Amino acid sequence: MESKDLRTVIEEVLKEMNLKPGAEAADSVSTAVKEAVRVPGGSGCQLVIPGKGVSLDPSYIEEGELPDITEIDLRTQYLVENPVNKEAYAEQKAAAPCRLGIGKAGARYKTLPQLEFRAAHSAAQDAVFNDVDEEFIESQGLFIVQTQCDSKDTYLTRPDLGRKLSPEAVETIKAKCKKNPTVQIYVADGLSSAAVAANIPDLLPAIMQGLQSYHIETGTPFFVKYGRVAVEDEVSELVGADVVCTLIGERPGLITATSMSAYIAYKATVGMPEARRTVVSNIHSAGTNPAEAGAHIAEIIKIMLEKKASGTDLKL
Amino acid sequence: MRQEIKSIGIDIGTSTTQLVFSRLVIENVAGSYTVPRVSIVEKEVIYRSKIYFTPLRSASEIDADKIKEIVRSEYQAAGMKPEDLSTGAVIITGETARKKNANEVLEALSDMAGDFVVATAGPDLESVLAARGAGTDAISEENRTTVANLDIGGGTTNIAVYEKGAMKGTCCLDIGGRLIKVENGKISYIFHKIEKLAANHGIRIAVGDRADPEILMKICRIMADELAIALRLVQADDEHRSLYTNDGKMMREDIGIKAVTYSGGVADCIYQEDDSDLFRYGDIGVLLGKAVRENPTISGLKLYQAKETIRATVVGAGTHSTDVSGSTIRYDKSRLPLKNVPVLKISEDDETDFESFSQAIATQLPLFYTEGRMEQVAIAFSGRGWTGFQQIQKLASAIIKGAREVIESSYPLIVVAECDIGKALGNALNIQLDFKKPVICIDGIRAAGGDYIDIGEPLAGGTVVPVVNKTLVFNS
Repeated sequence: MESKDLRTVIEEVLKEMNLKPGAEAADSVSTAVKEAVRVPGGSGCQLVIPGKGVSLDPSYIEEGELPDITEIDLRTQYLVENPVNKEAYAEQKAAAPCRLGIGKAGARYKTLPQLEFRAAHSAAQDAVFNDVDEEFIESQGLFIVQTQCDSKDTYLTRPDLGRKLSPEAVETIKAKCKKNPTVQIYVADGLSSAAVAANIPDLLPAIMQGLQSYHIETGTPFFVKYGRVAVEDEVSELVGADVVCTLIGERPGLITATSMSAYIAYKATVGMPEARRTVVSNIHSAGTNPAEAGAHIAEIIKIMLEKKASGTDLKL
Repeated sequence: MRQEIKSIGIDIGTSTTQLVFSRLVIENVAGSYTVPRVSIVEKEVIYRSKIYFTPLRSASEIDADKIKEIVRSEYQAAGMKPEDLSTGAVIITGETARKKNANEVLEALSDMAGDFVVATAGPDLESVLAARGAGTDAISEENRTTVANLDIGGGTTNIAVYEKGAMKGTCCLDIGGRLIKVENGKISYIFHKIEKLAANHGIRIAVGDRADPEILMKICRIMADELAIALRLVQADDEHRSLYTNDGKMMREDIGIKAVTYSGGVADCIYQEDDSDLFRYGDIGVLLGKAVRENPTISGLKLYQAKETIRATVVGAGTHSTDVSGSTIRYDKSRLPLKNVPVLKISEDDETDFESFSQAIATQLPLFYTEGRMEQVAIAFSGRGWTGFQQIQKLASAIIKGAREVIESSYPLIVVAECDIGKALGNALNIQLDFKKPVICIDGIRAAGGDYIDIGEPLAGGTVVPVVNKTLVFNS
């Protein structure tokens, strides 16, 4: 460890100990650093801060990794001390990933559940704020267009702009997409970029294969950045599709950040009522298996084409 | 999406023959915006026949014509027609199953029992159906405990154990109320195994002897002791093993039974104390009931009232033999229904890679030949771990490679997966086979090697197919 880094560490420690910055503290730091640097990385090297009763052992650095707390299965985690009937509680917990039976420390959460909760919250935020990796999108054989939003901030604060394609997007789609396909499928990030990465490799080909198995012709798929559901209406008009289907990331929760939905509409038009969309939701590894959901969506599209209706007009 | 189907259950037992009609309601229990999940949400017996003594032509033959007459008259009484029925089961149970002409009986009934009816018997299935008819599975689930149902009939006792709603084991013994019959105060029939059992305990009885309640009670107490052994409450002796039907096995030792329910003809003699006329049924049923009730070991267990007693098996056959498949499946409708399809099971070990998967199919297929000819077969596996799109494509290739013989035959390719991959796998199979082969690919069903399954015509607007697994009903 470089002495500069060490200084930063020690200053941090002292700050946390509420030591006011002053000559004495600065001295202590210098002494400590000198001490530490004398035997760099040596075991048994002690950091002693004179007059403060502080003794740090910098050699106490564990190798390896901290366990990943997001890997803990909520269905099996049970932290209540001295339970009356742990087995019965565990059986109930196995039915759903709820934050129950996690014990308490006084009136508060224990440290681990608190950290898990924050980790889940962070994953949810990441899912919203991160962009889908462009290389990943290309690897799925999709080209990228954008709505009229120019950033995540605009996307989150101006839902209306997330429902309109940018002028460049309109041109690209016109140039690259097959005209008047029976079915136009495309992917949008929506509120979870993580959902796109997690599900599209299984979901999209499964829909395509399902449609192929019903001998239904499909258009050229692509990806819409900063897309909201209703942009599918403009897409549909633009390419002249009978059925349009968007695969879009759902608003993340604290149980999963990778849930995806399909919004499917027959002869969608800009400004049509929301009730004309048929939805298949909860597509993720712990919900409906993406490959099987894809096969199911293909069948819904087939029925939609037969009955020439979608949404509440279509009884499935 | 709610659909009502009618089901029939016919139980031709050692001593009695019964029939019930049931109503099963199937419904999509998933929310509106998700993939459907169709299940059986209601089961109700809507008609119970009279209880007939099983008509016999001789000591070892069932009178098929009389059975047919009984069934016909009960159809009339219930106002039911064969075409109203979608599913059900005819089972020949107990000692009767060993009667010579079981097939003849099933044949005689086949045109009357609807287009989709099982014809089967087998001690394990009987035990399970009786326990489910008695409601033992529900009792064990509700009370979070381990409950055994003892279906004590005329010729056999079928035991099934449920732990918190899940089946844990079955067995079947030659212990029943009509294994000694009494006429005009004299013993008129003794089953050979019981005669031997009594002799081993130093009790000698013979046909024609006076029916001495005290001596017969002693024998019944010995029979009750054997049941306690079968429940694993008491250490087994050498003799015990010979009491199992069809060389069956004992239940495993650590089964941990905490409570019991009783069904079958003798059940009412256990639940209700009425010793007024000991030989009112012309057999030792009343005494056996008393012996079981008073057995010091068994009476130490908690006793629950069964939902059905003498009718448990027939109710089980009528309402609990049918399951529905998963709700996203792919099938060629023109090939349904399928009956009596033997199951070729891919073991968990062989499922770990696609090469051994293909191999397992190819090497097992010849086992299903009849007289050197290919027979229809269902390929069953869990599919766990192969749920991604690419993996499903490879799984489809592995199935096609291994099942070449099936594909070249006139039979459809029948695939049964446990995991929810039926529709995606069905699509992959159709595409890889270029739509040249009828494919039935269902999921949500667990079948074991040696099982036989029936796959019925689609229900719930084509979402699911009813499936009857005739050997053991393990599906939750």
